[in-house]
Amino acid sequence: MKKIGVFLADDHTLIRAGLRMVVDAQADLSVVGEANNGREAVAMVEALKPDVVVMDIGMPNLNGIEAAREIRKTLPDTQIVMLSMHSDEGYVLRALKAGAKAYLLKDSAEADLAQAIRAAAAGKSFFSPAVGKVLLEDYIRKLQRTGAEDSYELLSPREREILQLVAEGKSSKEIATLLNLSVYTVETHRAHVMQKLNVHGIPELILYAVRKGIIS
Amino acid sequence: MNTRTAGTESATPLPRSHKLRWLLLIVGGALLSLLLASGTLAIRFLDKLHAQQQVVSHTLTARAQMLSGLLLSLQSYNDAVQQFVAQEQADQAPARSHLDQLTLELDTDLRRYPNDRDPTETAMLDGMQSVFTQQRTVYISVLAAKPDERRRQALSLISDRMIPLQRQILNWSGTLQTWNGERLQHADRALVTEFGSLQGGLSRVLAIGFGSGLLLVLGSLVYIIRLERQTHGRYVQLAQSQHELQRLSSRLVDAQETERRSLSRELHDGIGQALGALLVDIGRMSTTLSDDRPEVRTQLDNMKSVAETTLLSVRNIALLLRPSMLDDLGLVAALEWQGREVSRRSEIEVSVESENMPDDLPDEYRICIYRLVQEALNNAVRHSGARNAKVTVEHSAEAISVQVSDDGRGFDPTRVRGLGMLGMEERVHRLGGTFTVRSQLGQGAEITANLPFPPASGNHS
Repeated sequence: MKKIGVFLADDHTLIRAGLRMVVDAQADLSVVGEANNGREAVAMVEALKPDVVVMDIGMPNLNGIEAAREIRKTLPDTQIVMLSMHSDEGYVLRALKAGAKAYLLKDSAEADLAQAIRAAAAGKSFFSPAVGKVLLEDYIRKLQRTGAEDSYELLSPREREILQLVAEGKSSKEIATLLNLSVYTVETHRAHVMQKLNVHGIPELILYAVRKGIIS
Repeated sequence: MNTRTAGTESATPLPRSHKLRWLLLIVGGALLSLLLASGTLAIRFLDKLHAQQQVVSHTLTARAQMLSGLLLSLQSYNDAVQQFVAQEQADQAPARSHLDQLTLELDTDLRRYPNDRDPTETAMLDGMQSVFTQQRTVYISVLAAKPDERRRQALSLISDRMIPLQRQILNWSGTLQTWNGERLQHADRALVTEFGSLQGGLSRVLAIGFGSGLLLVLGSLVYIIRLERQTHGRYVQLAQSQHELQRLSSRLVDAQETERRSLSRELHDGIGQALGALLVDIGRMSTTLSDDRPEVRTQLDNMKSVAETTLLSVRNIALLLRPSMLDDLGLVAALEWQGREVSRRSEIEVSVESENMPDDLPDEYRICIYRLVQEALNNAVRHSGARNAKVTVEHSAEAISVQVSDDGRGFDPTRVRGLGMLGMEERVHRLGGTFTVRSQLGQGAEITANLPFPPASGNHS
């Protein structure tokens, strides 16, 4: 079986060395290159074409989010695992919008990294468990304070099913085959879900799913 | 010590200008009283002159009247004597008594005439006296003569004695007229002389008044110019020191920001990364550790939790010093993060709205807006007791407007002016913007900043 090629981008040598040890310890993963800033990472990734890029958000000389956006533009098959110190939804949402598949907190990176890389390589989402927790706390607090209703309750069981599959990264066509429905019906359900949850676009939908613990 | 000496030096010119002020006041007062006195004197003098003139003309007419009355009496006496002489009757009692009465009148009139007489008057009166005496002599001699003798003498008496007397009286009447005219002219001349002296006096007073007035004006002018110069000098000084102060405080803000950033970097890159690496190592150790050493595992777990707590606090301090979101995600995301952070650790639910905000905002704008919102939200958390707060940032054609409002208990912005508020204002002014605070007790608070953007060239140093 072919190994998953991993590229590491972090401006701190100590952290990068730790990540490399974690990746090298896995039989199915191998590090193909390293960079210590965003600009360098973009250039090297375009040349090396790895399967997965593990990248820190806070890097000098083009930050992780911008670098991810550029990489996803030129290499749509290369997936991004974003590393961050923050579990704040601003970071998560922007990372998702920039095209990242997985979002890991640096604190727990060594425990979840291998799993996240594998999920991303397979086109699936992955989030540190703590991220979902923080997002959910923020969400519940806001609901309580503003007296709003949890929009999840508005969804039908079928819509919840489709929400989960969309958030996992599946296309409408895949979902249609999986659930034995027409593509048109899936699209309609999807539109309803977005409307009921008042979200705009897939990244926000994924964020919602992470927050509700539907995916992790 | 330096400031103290400077203070006393600048205090010395004050008494001098006080002196000048008093001098001007005294000169002005003297001038006014001079004018008042001379005016009063002139009016009094004119009054006196008027009265004098009246007295002169009055006595003049009175004397003229007396003199002409005397002349008339003499005339009638003369007529009566002539008549008496011409009469033939022996008994002439009524004519005699008429003559006696005229005599009495003439005598009293002559005696009553005032004694202060000029030579013409004296001559005239003396003449009249002698004419009267002659008439009396004629009359008495006629009275003493016998009737036939009287008839005989009558014609010669009249032609020899009475007619010359008559002529003399007529002559005097002419002299009287001339004298009268002369006296009037004389009085007029005296008046003109008096007027002349008054004119001279008034001109002198006016000249003195004008001179001292001119001096006063010149003095005042000098005083005003000096005051103006002093004021201008002080104004320039004030503006300069204000400018200096502004530069200093702007430098202070800059220095603070730079210091914070370098501290934050130091914490993040140095201590933070070292702790991170330590955590990775501990993690790897615990995965490779065999299960028969439980006490080592417990120690490793302890080490890990200490390192994690330390890392967290280091990160929090670093974030407070320099929010890395500003660099990682841009202003809007950093503001949203800030809002959520405040929501997490306080009772206030913060909503953040943004419109048209450019991604490539210069750092000084990002940090200004970020710190403004941070300070405003901190104030709201600490003092307002609000349930909700709203942050709005909006970019219109020429400016970025930032607004932070809450539904708390509010305050009186004219009285409450904390250091934080001053800091916000300073940051906004540095970018050439305007800063307003609107609040009322029980009505919440609203802080608004308007920053010109894109900045006008040369707007900020």
